[in-house]
Amino acid sequence: MSDTVQLRIRDDDGQEQSITATRGETLLDAAHRSGVEITATCGMRGRCRSCRCKIIDGTMPPPTVADTVQLGHEEIRERFRLACQTRIVADTVIKPMPPKSESGHQLLGGHVETTSLDLVSGVEKIAITAKAPVSEHHQTSDIEEVFMAIGEPLKSRLVPGSLLQDLPAKLREQKGALTVTLFRGKIVDIEVGDTTEKSYGMAIDIGTTSIVGSLLDLETGEELAAVGMLNPQAPFGADLMSRIAYAQFKPKNLAQLRGKVLSGLNDLVRQAAEKADVSAAHVYKIVIVGNTCMHHILLGIDVSYLGLAPYAPAVRDAQTIAAADLPLKSAPHAHICTLPILAGFVGADALACVLSTRIYDSDTVRGLVDIGTNGEMVLGSKDKLIACSAPAGPAFEGAQIRHGMRGAVGAIERVTISDDVACQTIGGDAAVGICGSGLIEACARMSDARVLNRMGSIKSTDDLPEAIAARIRKSDHGQEFVLVWQTEGGKEEDISLTQGDVRQLQLAKAAIFSGVMMLMKAMDVSAEEVDELLLCGGFGNYVDIESAVRIRLLPEMDPEKITYAGNAALMGAQMATLSEAEIERAETLVGTIEHVALAARTDFQELFIDGMNFGEPGLQILSQQDEAIAV
Amino acid sequence: MSEPVLEIPEGWEERAVDGWEWATLWEAVEEGDHGYSHDRVQQAIDAGIDPRVILDDGLFPGFNLQGDRFSEQIIFIPEMLITARAMKAGLALIRPLLAANDEKPLGTFIMGTVLGDMHDIGQSIVTIMLENAGFNVINLGTDVHPDKFIETAAEEKADMIGFSALLSTTVYYQKVTIDEFEKAGHRDKVHILIGGAPTTQEWADECGADGWGRDAMEAVKLARRLITDQRGAWA
Repeated sequence: MSDTVQLRIRDDDGQEQSITATRGETLLDAAHRSGVEITATCGMRGRCRSCRCKIIDGTMPPPTVADTVQLGHEEIRERFRLACQTRIVADTVIKPMPPKSESGHQLLGGHVETTSLDLVSGVEKIAITAKAPVSEHHQTSDIEEVFMAIGEPLKSRLVPGSLLQDLPAKLREQKGALTVTLFRGKIVDIEVGDTTEKSYGMAIDIGTTSIVGSLLDLETGEELAAVGMLNPQAPFGADLMSRIAYAQFKPKNLAQLRGKVLSGLNDLVRQAAEKADVSAAHVYKIVIVGNTCMHHILLGIDVSYLGLAPYAPAVRDAQTIAAADLPLKSAPHAHICTLPILAGFVGADALACVLSTRIYDSDTVRGLVDIGTNGEMVLGSKDKLIACSAPAGPAFEGAQIRHGMRGAVGAIERVTISDDVACQTIGGDAAVGICGSGLIEACARMSDARVLNRMGSIKSTDDLPEAIAARIRKSDHGQEFVLVWQTEGGKEEDISLTQGDVRQLQLAKAAIFSGVMMLMKAMDVSAEEVDELLLCGGFGNYVDIESAVRIRLLPEMDPEKITYAGNAALMGAQMATLSEAEIERAETLVGTIEHVALAARTDFQELFIDGMNFGEPGLQILSQQDEAIAV
Repeated sequence: MSEPVLEIPEGWEERAVDGWEWATLWEAVEEGDHGYSHDRVQQAIDAGIDPRVILDDGLFPGFNLQGDRFSEQIIFIPEMLITARAMKAGLALIRPLLAANDEKPLGTFIMGTVLGDMHDIGQSIVTIMLENAGFNVINLGTDVHPDKFIETAAEEKADMIGFSALLSTTVYYQKVTIDEFEKAGHRDKVHILIGGAPTTQEWADECGADGWGRDAMEAVKLARRLITDQRGAWA
């Protein structure tokens, strides 16, 4: 028996790619190895349905337990399998059929207001006229003539070798008319003619889920293009921890993740330049922010220990790397600057949020919350700032939710319940699933309608309207509540919220809720004393504030005081791109913000358990001292 | 999937005293009323009911009902915790009496969350459930070094060890710790169980554990089953 088998992967257009697979390896491993991307949101653990494939032809592999749990008997019979679980035993033809459409994914940009910024970006372009050496008696060189024409002594006379290679021709092309570009006082580019008006920078926020960037004119501060993409590492796990686990103690996997993000960045820079109709060669400064894990992977730093307590980062200081060293080929003359990191799970993105919201300058206590797979939060004023992180997991992104999906066309985002249920989707299309903000709203309205009790159980009560009562049912997946009947939706089945989905949401929202409460406790302020709570980041800006307070994802405070801050991390990165003073500010701030380690505190566990309840404070189980339950 | 129901122990009337009722205690444990649980168990002791009977007929029915509901996700962590506490309030009064009656624990179980992991809630629930089921449980807390597990297991002549891990990055240390038991020459003396959200039966097989519990209830069932299987003796 041969050890290799042929795997053919058919795409939506019926095109097939044939690859040689090793007998016994999983469909997903074989596909990934040959560059076919199948998303494994749960990190290839058989915990979600994102890598669902249909076995078109070939020996039908027996279903694994995970197949049965995730797909159900019906789909198993219809030849569906999870690519991450199914081992190839013979020649097979498969078609990846992820259970949801991810088109039209929402990406949140934002543009910072520049009037209050000190627009000194560190990039300086100087037009000079240098003379080509004329006398053999008086020995000089082309580059020395360039230095001479600049006049002022430079910080360093080191010039990148690549700039020397074609300097002789450049110097003589237009009678010595050149533009020299300096970054932090060092020569980074030499061009023929006067290009002083072409000076650009980019701000990029690398999120676990998506990457967004904006191209800026460094002289005027104007945004010339906004771009975004899903993080190409997503097929290797939706949340941070699964990304770290994938690369943990496996340098090859780390290199693979790094390669993904680098090629993504290359594309993003190229796209932005095209959109703004400028040359990416004129991008000189790129400020990248992101959580600690994304930061480390980008720099190729081992993340093995980021996943283990005490989650220490390898470096916290701001870094500057020449594009050639990263490497970032599309912007050859750029320097890549990262903002400092506060802690293993409070990254440069959090620092960027602090910069753009300016809470370091506030007279009153304000807070910022980035609701994501890894929630980051900062609270304080000009007197003191404290920060923490809370692992919410990927439920808010629709992962590990039975009919969950990202915020894309066809995702339920608004839910109202009166005599019956009415759902509104993104783009107004027929519903195909539910996104995180829809999940929150569904639970809020189900709580109001008493379909969900305060402990999160889906329960029928006596006096429910008939149409509502008919939506509560038992299924293979336990108790569930039907949001959209098959006849009204765009899916081959009813779209429901299962009891398991609600439990996932309870854990996720409890993490965020208890994190914010913990910071208030550590700061010794009540919710009333917090003047403003700013929601940062992609997800936060799509959440309905009233619903978020209703289900206790956010603390019980006046919803008027909770505001959307847009993509505050990207805006902070924009500020740092345009102004060196902001990078310095970030470096000072990182030394003063106190990090609160939640897991190490017993009072956090108490808040976390209480935070799982909906609507009203739950059972005060830990108020009385009981050693064994003091978890 | 059927709705769990209260299983009323057959013939409980004969084992109690005349005019006795357990229904209020079953309900108190189910609803997590630890004050009533404590008081009612004390009354039962004072009435001269056998401590073993109080445990089996009085405390377990409400506890098992909630445990089954927890397995089915009908109730969640907060409710399971208050039920466990009510159970424990009653058990605290009975345990010394059981010991006096020469009832031995089912076995000694060392419990902890592995190195690099600070998660505590899951293993605390399992600990309470194992104690309620009659095990002598030594809980080492979180972020436990493999050496600490080995040292304690040897000191206590443990029958069983449970490694909890709640992060996909720390399950690695479940395997490492099992390997360390192997190296120390103690692997054959204990049953090793693993659990935690990112774990699966496949992982349990791969890392060399003797068993995996999908949730706390299953962990207890597994422990009760495995404990009957004798392992090598501690020196």
